[in-house]
Amino acid sequence: MDIAALQTFTSPVVLFFLLGLLAAVVRSDLAIPEAIAKGMSLYLMAAIGLKGGVAVSKSGLDATIITALAAGIAASFLLPFIAYAVLKTFGKLDRLNAGAVAAHYGSVSVVTYVTAVEIFELSAVPAAGFMVAVLAAMETPAILSGLLLAKGGSKNGDPEERGEMLREVFLNASVVLLLGSFAIGMVAGPSGFAEVSPFFEAGFKGVLCLFLLDMGLIAARRMMDSRAITWRLVVIAIALPLFNGALGVLAGTAIGLDVGSAAAFGVLCASASYIAVPAAMRLALPQADPGIYLTMSLSITFPFNILVNIGLLTALAKALGGMPL
Amino acid sequence: MIETVVRKRIEILADTPLAKRVTRAIDKVEISGWTILPVQSGSGRDGPWRDERVTGSDKSLILTIASEEKASLLSEELVPILSSHGLLLTMWDVEVVRGERF
Repeated sequence: MDIAALQTFTSPVVLFFLLGLLAAVVRSDLAIPEAIAKGMSLYLMAAIGLKGGVAVSKSGLDATIITALAAGIAASFLLPFIAYAVLKTFGKLDRLNAGAVAAHYGSVSVVTYVTAVEIFELSAVPAAGFMVAVLAAMETPAILSGLLLAKGGSKNGDPEERGEMLREVFLNASVVLLLGSFAIGMVAGPSGFAEVSPFFEAGFKGVLCLFLLDMGLIAARRMMDSRAITWRLVVIAIALPLFNGALGVLAGTAIGLDVGSAAAFGVLCASASYIAVPAAMRLALPQADPGIYLTMSLSITFPFNILVNIGLLTALAKALGGMPL
Repeated sequence: MIETVVRKRIEILADTPLAKRVTRAIDKVEISGWTILPVQSGSGRDGPWRDERVTGSDKSLILTIASEEKASLLSEELVPILSSHGLLLTMWDVEVVRGERF
């Protein structure tokens, strides 16, 4: 196995996630107050948005960035169609639930991406800063695909409700904060960022450790409480990130991304949203079962990506880039 | 002796992303106010749940007080979506002062 896959297990970030999983499994009363967890997620999104914006202000906008953005939007829009087909046939889900789950698998997980970036740095293959913009661009198209698949283009509900749903889709907190802080980073540049970097850089890894501890607790507790998950859905929740991730690394390499960025693109395609999409689905498809889509994305795919898939995708990107493993 | 009148106190438990759907219904039947309270955890027909603000799967309790007539209109508004949206609606009589406000 690639050394990157092993380095995963020595990273404090990943070890804190394992601690969270373990604490939940042994039914410890360890808990992070929800308001603090929410605050940490906002901090992490603002920090990676800023850092990405600053990186692009140094390198400038070029054809590679535009191509990566276009590839990200296309992937986010198309991946739910693959997921939907598998969920309907092998997973035996109805149209509504298959559409809702499919939206999660086209969209992205910010925390999976941030953890992957930490592991890429350990493996000496850092991802380009502009991949944060690709991450933000991939949040939304999948939601539209999922709704299209679940509703088949039918328009129901009153206009006010549709307006609320569209606001949630295009202006949800993750998209606004990621794109907003990315723009602030681009405008401020390295000198402007230097003023706020003590807050956004010094505490970043520590906050990420605590946040992953909380995600480990939530993921394991949700899995233990789950009643709607079948063995077929477990298989899909592991197979989809493997397939989508490999597809992403291949596409990233094909469009000329460097090894770290191609691996990051693979991680984005492999990850499943559990922050932005669940809230949008609860509004737009209230009949869909959160016990299915949240358990699959958060309790199965997320831990699988953190513990196994990031290492595998790094190895694949290195192999395709002709680097030693 | 303070004079009180009887009104309906209505509580609706809903997933937080759906709270606006409920408050819109309250506004639609012209009930003059509502309050949203956070809740921590519980268990129901679909199993246990707990406050998870990060994933947006936290729940809220929407509280309002209204005349019997408006309470009935609100029930009619919400009953069709109680099952599909996973809402829990309860109401009971309470005594309030300044009854003209409700």
